Amino acid sequence: MADRELTQLLARLKAAPATAPYAETAALLSRAKLLLLQLNALTPTAAAGPTAPALLALARDTYEQGALASIRAKDPDAFTRYVAQLRPFYELLQSGGDAGAGAGAGAGAGAEAGERNKVTGLYLLLLLTQGLYGEFHSELEALSAGGGGVDVEGDRYLGYPVRLERWLMEGSYDRVWKAMKKGEVPCEEFGVFSEILTSQIRSEIASSSERAYPSLPLSSTKSLLFLESEGAVVEFARSRGWTVKDGQIFFPSAQETGEEEQEKEMSQMVIENTLGYARQLETIV
Amino acid sequence: MPGKTPDKKEPVENGGYRGGKDLKPKGKKASKKEGDDEMTVVVPPSKASKQSSVPPPNDSEGDVAMDDADKAAEGEAKVDPVAQTINDIKSNFALLDRAVALFDARFSLRALRSISSIRKRLTPDILAQAISETYLSSSASANVARQMLEAIGQSDVSLGRQPGPEMEIDSEPKAAGKNGVKKEAKDVIPEVDVFLGILTQVVLHDSQQLQKGFEFSHYLVDRIRSVNRRTLDSLSAKVYFYYSLFAEQTAPLPPSPQSPIVGIRPTLLAALRTAVLRKDVDTQATVIVLLLRNYLLTSHISQADLLVSHTQFPENAANNQVARFLYYLGRTRAIQLRYTEAHEHLTAATRKAPSSACALGFSQTATKLLLVVELLMGDIPDRATFRQPSMETALHPYFLLVQAVRVGNLGDFETIIAEHADTFRRDGTYTLILRLRQNVIKTGIRMMSLSYSRISLRDICIRLHLGSEESAEYIVAKAIRDGVIEATLDRERGFMKSKEVGDVYATREPGEAFHDRIRACLALHDESVKAMRFPMNQHRLELKNAQEAREREREMAKEIQEGDLDEDDLGGEFEGM
Repeated sequence: MADRELTQLLARLKAAPATAPYAETAALLSRAKLLLLQLNALTPTAAAGPTAPALLALARDTYEQGALASIRAKDPDAFTRYVAQLRPFYELLQSGGDAGAGAGAGAGAGAEAGERNKVTGLYLLLLLTQGLYGEFHSELEALSAGGGGVDVEGDRYLGYPVRLERWLMEGSYDRVWKAMKKGEVPCEEFGVFSEILTSQIRSEIASSSERAYPSLPLSSTKSLLFLESEGAVVEFARSRGWTVKDGQIFFPSAQETGEEEQEKEMSQMVIENTLGYARQLETIV
Repeated sequence: MPGKTPDKKEPVENGGYRGGKDLKPKGKKASKKEGDDEMTVVVPPSKASKQSSVPPPNDSEGDVAMDDADKAAEGEAKVDPVAQTINDIKSNFALLDRAVALFDARFSLRALRSISSIRKRLTPDILAQAISETYLSSSASANVARQMLEAIGQSDVSLGRQPGPEMEIDSEPKAAGKNGVKKEAKDVIPEVDVFLGILTQVVLHDSQQLQKGFEFSHYLVDRIRSVNRRTLDSLSAKVYFYYSLFAEQTAPLPPSPQSPIVGIRPTLLAALRTAVLRKDVDTQATVIVLLLRNYLLTSHISQADLLVSHTQFPENAANNQVARFLYYLGRTRAIQLRYTEAHEHLTAATRKAPSSACALGFSQTATKLLLVVELLMGDIPDRATFRQPSMETALHPYFLLVQAVRVGNLGDFETIIAEHADTFRRDGTYTLILRLRQNVIKTGIRMMSLSYSRISLRDICIRLHLGSEESAEYIVAKAIRDGVIEATLDRERGFMKSKEVGDVYATREPGEAFHDRIRACLALHDESVKAMRFPMNQHRLELKNAQEAREREREMAKEIQEGDLDEDDLGGEFEGM
């Protein structure tokens, strides 16, 4: 009874266009979650029952839809929550898929991998944009070791954030930029992050340029920072406190002032260390 | 003199304790390599060097010697190996009894230590015989015995069997001996149950009956949890260890989420809680390490991290457990990109690892990880690391890797990864190594900046096999910002101009390096001071000795005055010291 209704709900959720207002999807989702509660499948503890695989798949689908919907609505917190809820389901279903390939669990076998990688890929991207590299790599490690043969780099959804991370780390920002253009993004949900990533790499480039170039002509700064027009460059330069003169950008040199202080700091450190050694020696001898 | 004996014994116990720790990597390494028979060889030298005044170098040997002496007194000349083994097993019961009676864990540790020597001779038959001779069919714990017999496939052996003819002589002195307990009369203490249980686990593991071993371990763990005895602590640590080992090796193997190791987590966590509440350091340390290993096997990094942050690893845990804990901690930190911490932990782990051949597997694994972490931190590992004969072959892929990173050749780097991907994957360093790519590029840029005062971006791009000039420009800019090189870029003409390299001795670098070394030395000093063990009441002994010496001196002075000093007196004084 309840599960049939849930299936219908899910079908509606899946069929709903990506542009559907979030409030609407949210309402559908909360109804779906209530139904899940009735079926006692909100958490994966009910896995013991005979209908468990089907129920689990239903619950998982619900959460997946929720996750995707919250990404579209740009609600990272809700998305993170959904991902956390999904994780045990993935582990359970994966084991079910391994063990009970012949036990009729094949119903969701096709859909199983696709959504999982998509959601995980999105999660990775989210971690990346939030600068949580530690979590990013923990997640990645779990994928490559515990995923049971998931080809991380070859996968369309998973490979994307992995490549982005690598390029960001080594500094090939132009590749990141290209990867964010239309057509390169594996699916529209990934596009949500493009904006954040763009501003992220722009500030990275800006801080590198400050140190690397003595001065830059406005025109090449435009292409360097992936900005639309020279006006935007001037605006950006102003926001970072750069001086624009004769079509050239000059970066304020921050090091000169700090030199003396550094010197002072250094002698202080030497004194402290030496005192420390003396004290230690005293305790030893 | 009687008052002195315990004092004199103290260092032996310490030495023995160390030996016990040395012994522990055994099981763990067993999964990596089986050739760990040298384990026992480790024990004597450490002890012999520590304490020369007490004759028996190995405690288990010492026990054997005692039994031998007993037998010699009974007039038995030749020893049957089977009987000998059973004897050895039984001699440990006396130790366990004493541990319970005196409430002293050292005796249990001594019993545990003898397992490795017994292990080589242990067969299901011998164990079955030992069990059947230990338990009476009517005794309360006969149930335990039956379980054990069943586990080793000897369920047809009846309990309470009288010792065979050759055993009779042996059991008599036992019953009569002051430490021997009249087992026939009294019920078997739980410590003996568990000890025999551990032996059963060992037998099952050595014969690779994993499923059976796992079930039996489960039963044994339940049994341990049902009794609350402090004297059982060190034994139960061992039981948990084998329990987890069985779970790990039972199919489906770990990375798969339905491996039995996931199932034993609640048990281990409960054991950890109990151990903490009871201040059971042995079990606590063992179980924390097991849990960490457990989590890392299924790549549950965040759980492992949470476990570490929510528990406190006991300070006075056995050295080998500390080494393992540090290794797993280092691994977690490396994955989380906290390289500095990882480096610290892993360095400590490699140093704490037993230096003998028995724990070679551990040293190798830890060193591999340490090398990768060093590379990730931008350091180039010491060449000498790869020269150690015990490490050379195992570290060869890493050696090639280090070479590629050092030269900064991206092409070589990728070929090596592709070539040795399986090795790296097996070592669990693959994902970490993939992160090295940026370090290779950085090193490449640095080399180029050092060798050319001015180089075009196109050349950089070609030499480092980068995708495009634009990429090269961004990468170089980032390197400049990160302080990898001292240079400036000229956008219009498209080249990188290196700045003059200043005198390194004018910077704070040498001061920092000096400070690091001094700090390491001081830490070493502190640790050595902490590691020293001072036997209890030793100072009183010294006082007494000093007094005696003074008296003797006075006597001697008198004798010298009287003019009849001879060699013996001098020798005598020497002995007294």
